Amino acid sequence: MKKRLALGTTFALVLALVGGSATPLQADPPEVVIGSILPLTGGLATTGRGLKLAQELARDLINGHISYPVTMVGGYGLPHLGHARLKIVFADSQGNPDQAKTVAEQLITQDHVVALLGCYASAQTATASQVAERYGIPFLNPDSSFPNLTERGFKWFFRQTPHDGTFSANLFQFLSDITKQKNAKVRRVALVSENTLFGTGAADAEEAEAKKYSYDLALRMPYAANASEVQSEVQKVKAANADVIFQASYLNDALLFMKTYKQQRLNVQGILAQDAGFIDPNFVKNLGKDADYVLTRDVFSLNIKHRNKGVPLINELFKQRSGGNNLDGNTARDFTAVTVIADAIDRAGSTKPAAIAKALRETKIDGKRTIVPWRGIKFDEKGQNTLGNGIIEQIQGGAYETVWPFDVATKPAIWPMPAWDKR
Amino acid sequence: MDVGPLPQLVVSGILTGLLFALISVGLTLIFGVMDVVNFAHGEFLMLAMYATFGATLIGINPILAVPVVAIVMFFLGAVVYRVLIRRLLAGPPSAVVFGTFGLLVFLQGAAQYLFTSDYRSIPNLPFQGTLHFGAVNLGEAQLVAGLGALLMTALVFAFVEYTEPGRALRALSEDRVAAQLMGIDVQGMNALAFGLGIACVGAAGALLMLTYQAYPRIGTEFALTAFVVVALGGFGSVQGALVGALLVGLVEVLGGFYISPALKMIPVYLLYLLVVLVRPQGLLGRR
Amino acid sequence: MTVRAHLIALGIVALTLTALALGYHNAFILNLVFAGLIFAVLGQSWNWISGYAGQISFGHALFFGCGAYASALFAARHGSPWLALPAGAAVAAILALLVGFPCFALRGHYFSIATIAVAAIAEIAATNLAALGKANGFEMPILAPGIATLQFSDKGHYVLVALALFVFAQLATLGLERSRLGFYLRAIRLNQEAAASVGVDARAAKLTTYAACGALAALAGSLYAQQALYVGPEDTLGLPISIAIALVGVVGGLSTVWGPALGALVYVALARYGGALLGGQGHGLDLLLYGGLILVIVSWRPDGLAGIGRSIRRALERREARAAP
Repeated sequence: MKKRLALGTTFALVLALVGGSATPLQADPPEVVIGSILPLTGGLATTGRGLKLAQELARDLINGHISYPVTMVGGYGLPHLGHARLKIVFADSQGNPDQAKTVAEQLITQDHVVALLGCYASAQTATASQVAERYGIPFLNPDSSFPNLTERGFKWFFRQTPHDGTFSANLFQFLSDITKQKNAKVRRVALVSENTLFGTGAADAEEAEAKKYSYDLALRMPYAANASEVQSEVQKVKAANADVIFQASYLNDALLFMKTYKQQRLNVQGILAQDAGFIDPNFVKNLGKDADYVLTRDVFSLNIKHRNKGVPLINELFKQRSGGNNLDGNTARDFTAVTVIADAIDRAGSTKPAAIAKALRETKIDGKRTIVPWRGIKFDEKGQNTLGNGIIEQIQGGAYETVWPFDVATKPAIWPMPAWDKR
Repeated sequence: MDVGPLPQLVVSGILTGLLFALISVGLTLIFGVMDVVNFAHGEFLMLAMYATFGATLIGINPILAVPVVAIVMFFLGAVVYRVLIRRLLAGPPSAVVFGTFGLLVFLQGAAQYLFTSDYRSIPNLPFQGTLHFGAVNLGEAQLVAGLGALLMTALVFAFVEYTEPGRALRALSEDRVAAQLMGIDVQGMNALAFGLGIACVGAAGALLMLTYQAYPRIGTEFALTAFVVVALGGFGSVQGALVGALLVGLVEVLGGFYISPALKMIPVYLLYLLVVLVRPQGLLGRR
Repeated sequence: MTVRAHLIALGIVALTLTALALGYHNAFILNLVFAGLIFAVLGQSWNWISGYAGQISFGHALFFGCGAYASALFAARHGSPWLALPAGAAVAAILALLVGFPCFALRGHYFSIATIAVAAIAEIAATNLAALGKANGFEMPILAPGIATLQFSDKGHYVLVALALFVFAQLATLGLERSRLGFYLRAIRLNQEAAASVGVDARAAKLTTYAACGALAALAGSLYAQQALYVGPEDTLGLPISIAIALVGVVGGLSTVWGPALGALVYVALARYGGALLGGQGHGLDLLLYGGLILVIVSWRPDGLAGIGRSIRRALERREARAAP
């Protein structure tokens, strides 16, 4: 690890010497102000704080002059705007759609932001983007996966992440691939999902896929994410006698379910999760070895083949700021979103919202120039990035290892997961 | 006859109920003596969980931490009574409600400020196994917490019924003026009751760390259930809180299984409404 | 305060806010003013049942949500919001009667917890019923702005509509204070048995009040939905909303005409504006300050801000009395 870090540092220094020729042009460069709405307090605060750190890191790297092989990073601000500094004004949605809308209005009318990022939770993204649409301000969503968001006919809304439809297709493709590879027999699937926007959207997409692959739907169970215990939930899953569980949960409920699965000795071939709580740094930290063998879709991994060489360095910087947390699918997407919006503003060469929206529509970033393992970033007429895709990770020995697509996997998937009493 | 998962559900329901009892005993104790609904009750639970986490950081065994945290919380409760609750009691009844609600917001903000919103759990906890009785699985940590709840309820009950200060507390809850005339130090007794109530929730928090994580909002997840439990059992009744908690636990788990997990709180609320409409003072409350 | 003084004060507030709504174009501030007026109305509605009638409710979001969902449901079917307003109010009033009829037999905290239980059942139902949009709620369509659609591009117009409702609520409260019903409520609050012995039908008086305050809160909910254009279970029926409403009622001062308005001012300034100002750090500093301020107000003056106003007035009167020969 030390050695890799040293290598990386040398690499960065070389890049800085070769490419970082930018020098301060003026004493006081102009600023370009964008707004970012995140759930900084309330139930999603843990995640929200991480996202803020990731966006701040991206901002500082864009404004700095040390080059990494990532779009816009190290350009000493926005080159085509006289090296203007990128500034992000953060606002707290409190995890509440109404508040998200109020602060969006505040950012647009008070802080005169030229573009908006946000808001992690799909319900808040829905309301805040409505405000942006009304004012004609480009809204780039890094991380909300509710499919409907790009089906509203909005002209100012762009979504960089793949949505639940794509993710669920990935999960089922993986299931089909792995069962073929391991000669395993899977018939019955159980869909467990929290009952707000995120879980419902995920379960809808999963149900459609399950039908496509003609699996038996043993159970579709929505549950309340704010439950203080999940005994009856787990008994229902147990009674369904499923081979595989598909699960969409936030952090608190994900922890409760895992502990109760273990306690009730609920053994299945695999648990396939829809990121969220399952990729939160607190998940492995709090479950320890009981988190092992869980499979989750993700949009990012530290452990993946052919990844961008800048990732370990950026991850080290992130760890310094986050008190030791690694980049994860959420923070990596939010980091990327800042580079994407900076790229659009820079190409627009203007801070006019219309020009930025036009530039966003013409975005064409090669996957190799991002920290996420996507083919790239390119928006269709609905504002959806068409070059994004998910990966499947498995927690092995407390680390998230990429196990699918097989050609970028760092470890082979362990399937089926060992029974609780055989660990 | 195949009863399916019923035995397991009943056992899970009882253990869940005991967990609720653990949290509710302190709440009902405070109410019984002072007629105070402590809205910040969940936040004291949260503080106790952080305290337990801190105690294990300096090497105290998580089980030994239970009495330690309870004692610390007792003094915290007494101080909170002296500084805040006493003033509130001088005002109209609504003042207490909103004072303790202000305390809730304040403590939650303070926890987020001081401890951040990260989840904290104790590494290498004891009692993480499961016991098997035929088809019924029993989590050890749940069992320990359940036994703790029974022990605590028994202790509080014995204290209130059979000791001198306990009798004074009871006298106070029955007739404040008469108790005063008999020379009972009302302020002192109130501070004792509030301290004891918070000590109970302190022990509950420490036991809860066996299965849950500490984070600033954990208190709110449990507080509402605790209120329903206490009201169902009858405000001020220690045995009532235990009975109410067991009922709520059973209804929640059975209702969740046989109706729908997403709707599992509806039968709980309906149960409460039904009970108080028939018995307006709750199951074991006094008129 | 005399009726005349109340009316003058109301006139000044209405004129100032009208001027602000028409002349000031800061959307963020106007949004806050709108939220303040909506909460002042909600607080007043709560004040009727919990202040004047003395039945502390922690489930007031139920009625607020009724109005909001009525607006959303009408909008989804292209109905006029002008029909949604009375429809939501009527449903809320009926619900109030249904809830109040059995629950007014409960005393004190048992009643409060019952209101929580009923609102929670409504929230869970809305979260799981397809007809009520489940957890997604409703995103309302953006229509051509105007008085017919009750949607405006200018935030100031929303403020005007909310102001009209606020003025109505204030006048109604003044009327209530001076009516037979108001007199009954006071009697019941002081001593229900004594009131009953002189022939006051306590349950009927409380039920009438509860139905009226349900309707008023629903009207506020409808206006809120027209402005937010999004209605979801957590944000309209959740316990935090109920508590916020009750807090507005208490911080300002129970059973006073101006208490809820003062409480709404504090709530919006601290929880909303302060949250927007400090919440961006995500450190919980805004919660710390808001909670701290509630503690200070309540422990300093348990009867709320209006109590402080009363003491100041009394002090002034005493000084005048002393100054007089």
